[in-house]
Amino acid sequence: MTQKYDAIIVGGGHNGLTCAAYLARAGRKVLVLERRHVLGGAAVSEEIHPGFTYSVCSYVVSLLRPEVIRELELAKYGLRIHPNDSMFVPLENGDAYVSYADEAKARRELSRFSPRDAEMMPRFHEVMYKMAYAVKPIIGYVPPNLIKPSLRDLGTLKELGKHMRGLGKETFHELCKIMVMSADDFLAEYFESEVIRAVNGVAGIIGTMLGVRSPGTAYVLLHHYMGELDGAFTAWGAQQGGTGRVSEAIAGSARHHGAEIRVSAPVAQVIVKNGSAVGVALENGDEFYADTIVSGCDPNVTFRKLVEEKDLPADLVRAIDKFKYRGSSGKVNLALDGLPHFPSMKDPSLMKGAIDIAPSVRYIEKAYDDAKYGGFSKRPCMEVVIPSVVDPTMAPHGKHMMSIFVQYAHYDMSEYGDRDQQREAFGNAVIDTLTEFAPNLKDLILHKQVLTPWDIEQKIGLTEGNIFQGELTLDQLFFLRPAAGWADYRTPIRNYWQCGSGTHPGGGITAGPGRLAAREILGGKL
Amino acid sequence: MAQYDVIIIGAGHNGLVAAAYLAQAGRRVLVLEKRDTVGGAAVSEEIFPGFKISTVADGCGYLSAKVRRELKLDAHVETLPSDVVAFCPQPDGTQLTIWRDTQRTAEEIARFSKVDAEEYPKFVDLMSRIAEVVGGLMELTPPDLPEVSLRDVLSGAALLGPVRRLGRKRIPDLLRILPMPAADLLNEFFEADAVRGAIGASSVLNITWGPQENGTAYTLLSSWAQSGTGLFRSAGVVKGGMGALTGALADAARGFGAEIRTGESVSEVIVKEERATGVRLSSGEEHTAAAVVSNADPRTTFRELLEPQHFDTLFMRHIQNIKYRGSAARIHLALRALPEFTALAGGDATAQLSGPIQIAPSLDYVQKAFDCTKYGEYSRYPYLDLLIPTLSDPSLAPAGQHILSITAKYAPYELDAGDWSAQKQAFADIVIDTLAEYAPNIRDIITDRHVLAPPDLESLYGLPEGNPNHGEMTLEQFFHMRPIPGCARYRTPIAGMYLCGAGAHPGGGVTGIPGHNAAREILKDSK
Repeated sequence: MTQKYDAIIVGGGHNGLTCAAYLARAGRKVLVLERRHVLGGAAVSEEIHPGFTYSVCSYVVSLLRPEVIRELELAKYGLRIHPNDSMFVPLENGDAYVSYADEAKARRELSRFSPRDAEMMPRFHEVMYKMAYAVKPIIGYVPPNLIKPSLRDLGTLKELGKHMRGLGKETFHELCKIMVMSADDFLAEYFESEVIRAVNGVAGIIGTMLGVRSPGTAYVLLHHYMGELDGAFTAWGAQQGGTGRVSEAIAGSARHHGAEIRVSAPVAQVIVKNGSAVGVALENGDEFYADTIVSGCDPNVTFRKLVEEKDLPADLVRAIDKFKYRGSSGKVNLALDGLPHFPSMKDPSLMKGAIDIAPSVRYIEKAYDDAKYGGFSKRPCMEVVIPSVVDPTMAPHGKHMMSIFVQYAHYDMSEYGDRDQQREAFGNAVIDTLTEFAPNLKDLILHKQVLTPWDIEQKIGLTEGNIFQGELTLDQLFFLRPAAGWADYRTPIRNYWQCGSGTHPGGGITAGPGRLAAREILGGKL
Repeated sequence: MAQYDVIIIGAGHNGLVAAAYLAQAGRRVLVLEKRDTVGGAAVSEEIFPGFKISTVADGCGYLSAKVRRELKLDAHVETLPSDVVAFCPQPDGTQLTIWRDTQRTAEEIARFSKVDAEEYPKFVDLMSRIAEVVGGLMELTPPDLPEVSLRDVLSGAALLGPVRRLGRKRIPDLLRILPMPAADLLNEFFEADAVRGAIGASSVLNITWGPQENGTAYTLLSSWAQSGTGLFRSAGVVKGGMGALTGALADAARGFGAEIRTGESVSEVIVKEERATGVRLSSGEEHTAAAVVSNADPRTTFRELLEPQHFDTLFMRHIQNIKYRGSAARIHLALRALPEFTALAGGDATAQLSGPIQIAPSLDYVQKAFDCTKYGEYSRYPYLDLLIPTLSDPSLAPAGQHILSITAKYAPYELDAGDWSAQKQAFADIVIDTLAEYAPNIRDIITDRHVLAPPDLESLYGLPEGNPNHGEMTLEQFFHMRPIPGCARYRTPIAGMYLCGAGAHPGGGVTGIPGHNAAREILKDSK
């Protein structure tokens, strides 16, 4: 069977679908091929246990680019975020800290821990917003090629310089610092309370095999701030019906524009004829042909699995092999017979928000040191959400679905035996630790799904289970993501493109890479 | 009419270098040193009778060849280079020696990994090229980014040569490597733990982080750029000890007409109409000058020598936020004989032992030594950097006896439990026990020992929190952000007030470059 398309997208993750939607919207004949039976990649929902919808991996939406929501009319296709306006953090001394979206409430709570920090918080937010705005245009740039700069690249660099000078010294200096500092050092310049530093520091380690005291994590903090730009906390929340519905919404938009999307269609390789990508071959032997092939997979899959080494320059192969993944997070999803009880939670409505287990900087740092040489944290950091509290469609009446995002879990857990033993030990560490803060949790568990970084790699296809398709460290950002000279979504193989989170502006459900890649493929305009 | 053109507070090596340059240019210079000896942290002291010990900085430091040449120091001091850049005994009784000679080193490395032996020359080539660019940066006065003046561009032209030699294709490498962890960089080239540890250890010799932390590739490069060995660290000693080097700087400065007074402690800088006009000594005596230069660290300079009201809150907040974080203890041992390293049994050990000795068998070892500092504990299995200067210069100790100087990491400035005065001997015991695993006879040959914990380095040598670099050499305190953003051009918000210490760009190490750069800027201003 041979059929001809304008573009074939390998991988129905949210970036692949975004790229597809934009290409279809521009009138291209597009085919999306997804290996799994469901769309979404890591932004996926599945009924793992009867009646319960699990947001298997990604569980909150916060970074989705507003222009994508607008341009692809995602609301029309089912995008609906339940805003998340609180974060409850039980402490080891039986007390708890709550971070509120509401400023007055937030201030009152902060004052309980440090009046000085309460005073400081507005200024901290102001600085972070300033810097987020300072970085914002950069996430819209196609990274310049510094080896062979084109006229446009020089233009980008000039614009960048102009932009930086326009920031004013104070913001520019703060930006220089946040790019290289540790999250905790950065926060310590504003806050004195260990608890407040811990709670705010967590955003600096999400998806990164680094501790809050590791240099470089302050940037990750800023990366997660980007989502709060457009309308503050409202951009932070759970998708109605599970995160997979975000991908479905993008797919809906793509289909509306005429894209064809197939699931259970694993691509074995990209067909390259004298230096040009001309099509793809599925594992079952089927072949599809197109003028343009786009990979939404991570750099390892895009360059080392889908194509052959002989078609790539040696220095790119070296760079791709150096690219760091280092999955650092695992996921535990629970079907619960009822709501867990947190003794330190005075206001039950806080169940609607996030529940973070990150009681102190020392706790987080110990969790990191525990796992960084292999294995996992004995007492991990966790972000817990129970979407069924605000979204009844997630679980049968009276029952609940709990999503637990866990740091740290090393890709190598061999010290715990075979894969099943590793998964079991990891799951137990998570549930035991959480039970310390919610004593009745264990009795409520109807079903549990445990994903180690290795499971995430096997299931979703993310190398080493890295949720960002590659660590968000300075040496892997902007014109270095995924490799110098190849950060503009192109590849050395003609008509073969990249559009995954392994490209600028990186990971999270941003749809940024998918959109920028589409823009490049379409010659600069969407 | 002021008594002097320039008064320099502190006769550390940078103060002396600045003094020498300014005097050489015909300025009337007065240097005031609180202690009874010049040199600051680069001194030789007789802490045991008959032993001349480089108490803080040792080796032959990293003194800039340009400074050495322009101040004609070779007339005053002799350095004794060593062929060994690092002798690294391993836990299994073997050893790896890094020689100045690349081929000879590659042969050593081949005993651990054939692949690494092939990679080593490529690695040295790439790093040397990048280090040349970093070295070029060090002699620049950082621009006041994000603004860049024409003058900055012109002086920046000095980088063109190094950048051309680096090659266009490698420019992204430079940008990629600078913020990386040294560990990741080394893992890209080498597979053997011994090789990674031998090269990577010096990336953290002078900072608080472990080699797996982002930014340590830069510290490795800055060490490389300054070493003068063409490799990742300096090797060799100053004849007569570090004091002889700073002594030579003082002689050079005096030779050019500078006046140097020791035992005179400055209590404050006199400021009139937002202009520095002189200094007041603790004795009450005053000296006036057209310019005042502080060789002290930024915190001391702006919070003790000057009144806070001269500065806005943002400025003072930046000063407050400077990270110092001393992380090493200095331990000096008097030995009646040479330590016998298992790895060198049966052969003549003197060649290998005459250079730096590193106990850093792997990067994980060093990283694990670091981990505990985050919780306010000192390392149970410390990373050690040792030097036996008496092998190159027997005159430093009584005949047949030796000095073993140790930089022991990690030793955080603040301990979670107890304080250093009570615990430093316990830490020294751990250090000696660690050493004994590689040189079993060590305990029997020690005749005397002297331990300097970070608080001692602070109180005795004016190094805040015991950090020898007047502030961490991390990327957040690098180039245009050293010591603080907007104040990296050796000038301060107070007219006529300058910085010339390691707290200023390019930072620590006995390089003399901050002093050299500061003098250059002062002369520009006073033209």
